[in-house]
Amino acid sequence: MVVLDAPIAGMREVALGMWVVALEAPEVAASVKAGQFVNLGLGGGYLLRRPFSVYRADGDRIEVIVKAVGGGTARLLAMRAGETVSCLGPLGHGFYFGGGARTAVLISGGLGVAPMPLAARDARAAGLQVTWVHGARTAEELCSESDGDDVIMATDDGTSGFAGTAVAAAPDADLVLACGPNRMLAAVAARWPEAQVAVETYMGCGTGVCLGCAVPLVRGGYDRACTEGPVYRAGDVDWEALPSHLPYAISA
Amino acid sequence: MTVDLSVDVGALHLRGPVLAASGTFGYGTEVPLLERRALGAMISKGIFLKPRNGTPPPRIAETPSGMLNAIGLQGPGVDALIRDYAPQWERWDFPVLVNINGESAAEYGELAARLDGVPGIAGFEINISCPNVEQGGMYFGNDPRAAAAVTEAVRKRTRLPVWVKLTPMVSDIGVIARAVEAAGADALSAVNTFVGMSMDLNSYRPRLSFRTGGLSGPAIRPLAVHLAHQAARAVDIPVIGVGGIMTADDALEFLVAGCRAVQVGTATFVNPTAIATVNDGIAAYLATKGFASLADLPRYLPRD
Repeated sequence: MVVLDAPIAGMREVALGMWVVALEAPEVAASVKAGQFVNLGLGGGYLLRRPFSVYRADGDRIEVIVKAVGGGTARLLAMRAGETVSCLGPLGHGFYFGGGARTAVLISGGLGVAPMPLAARDARAAGLQVTWVHGARTAEELCSESDGDDVIMATDDGTSGFAGTAVAAAPDADLVLACGPNRMLAAVAARWPEAQVAVETYMGCGTGVCLGCAVPLVRGGYDRACTEGPVYRAGDVDWEALPSHLPYAISA
Repeated sequence: MTVDLSVDVGALHLRGPVLAASGTFGYGTEVPLLERRALGAMISKGIFLKPRNGTPPPRIAETPSGMLNAIGLQGPGVDALIRDYAPQWERWDFPVLVNINGESAAEYGELAARLDGVPGIAGFEINISCPNVEQGGMYFGNDPRAAAAVTEAVRKRTRLPVWVKLTPMVSDIGVIARAVEAAGADALSAVNTFVGMSMDLNSYRPRLSFRTGGLSGPAIRPLAVHLAHQAARAVDIPVIGVGGIMTADDALEFLVAGCRAVQVGTATFVNPTAIATVNDGIAAYLATKGFASLADLPRYLPRD
């Protein structure tokens, strides 16, 4: 875990209103694993950091996915190359690729695409065949970037690819990884209790001390998305008790 | 020039005036060692006798220059604290005080008795000011008789230092401060969070599941400076200032207003190294002003 001032290295739009933001963060880029996140301090009166899954890591750079869902994310998108944000990370526990699996399906909805390119990288490094499944409400909201041996796109309104949800479009595999709105992850949990899912929560510190990012568990009680998560066994989360509509989220 | 930052709070000699506020530093084991070097003392996350799950999410909401929280004192209970954390604290080079909570004065006393004499525990901070529990908490803190009864219940069960963390949700903090001083408190922490509320304009419900939460961060700092100052004027025991400290200058405001030391809380959420930054900034300020020690800093504390 490091804190550094990370200069913005560039931005590109990958879906309607959804941007990839590249940051110079060498220490984070060198060590981040799929499913881990960074907590970005934006300044300008926004007190708390905002959590972002790391999208890609290459050389000295990391990338995150940003959609303007509130003032803080709008401020980030309005920044120019060379301006810095405070980057704390990598944080949390990511996806697990062991256990003798041979195939992996990566299922994402909307901003939930955020951890998937790194997941594809790490899955391949573990020798897995990767199926990429990505869904959005409409064709223009689909992320234009993908990384799988097979790629399946789905839209709720049927304007592109499979007409229906990403979960409905996904095939079975030895490892199921998913990220997206919590109600989508609840559907994943119903079909594959063993799936690994990256949840979205409000988050305060990102380091395990504030207990703000409570994730309700089926066995009772809560633990911390920032520390024990954000990746959980789908069947372990009490989905009924986890809020499903957040202004910003781990994937936002 | 090396500036002497050490302070005495009752019987406790602290190497510096910047303390970790309860609930913002966990049990001190979560944050990398580097960030503990400047700590004058740590006040642990609030503990009850029994384990507590805390409140359902959402538990936090950002507000202008601040945040609301309703964690509900989630914690492992006293047995786990003694087993898992106290042995680590014993090895540290700064004191750890345990923030203690109960639903009755007797429970506070019982907790103090259980923790008294456990190696690694240097004292207690009585929490009579948590706004996020259904029983006890703030309701003891805004009644001088109840506040004194809790303080006395703890005082009778331990010889360790006893601090009392005050709520700002009172009409006259001096009355409560004097009541707990008379009941045997060694120091006061002033102040805990203010009760606040924020509404979600999509769900038409409060943004927090607990409905209300405790407001912290820079938004409350001038309010907290005033209340800490009022408390310091009311009593002879040391007052530790708490509320929205982000920088060394913020901390110095509390010190000049009559506080012996300060606690940094929400700033640690934003930057894990905040305590070291504040501590080093105080030293730099004192050096610039030509003071050899923190004790030389002028205080504004007129007596009524």
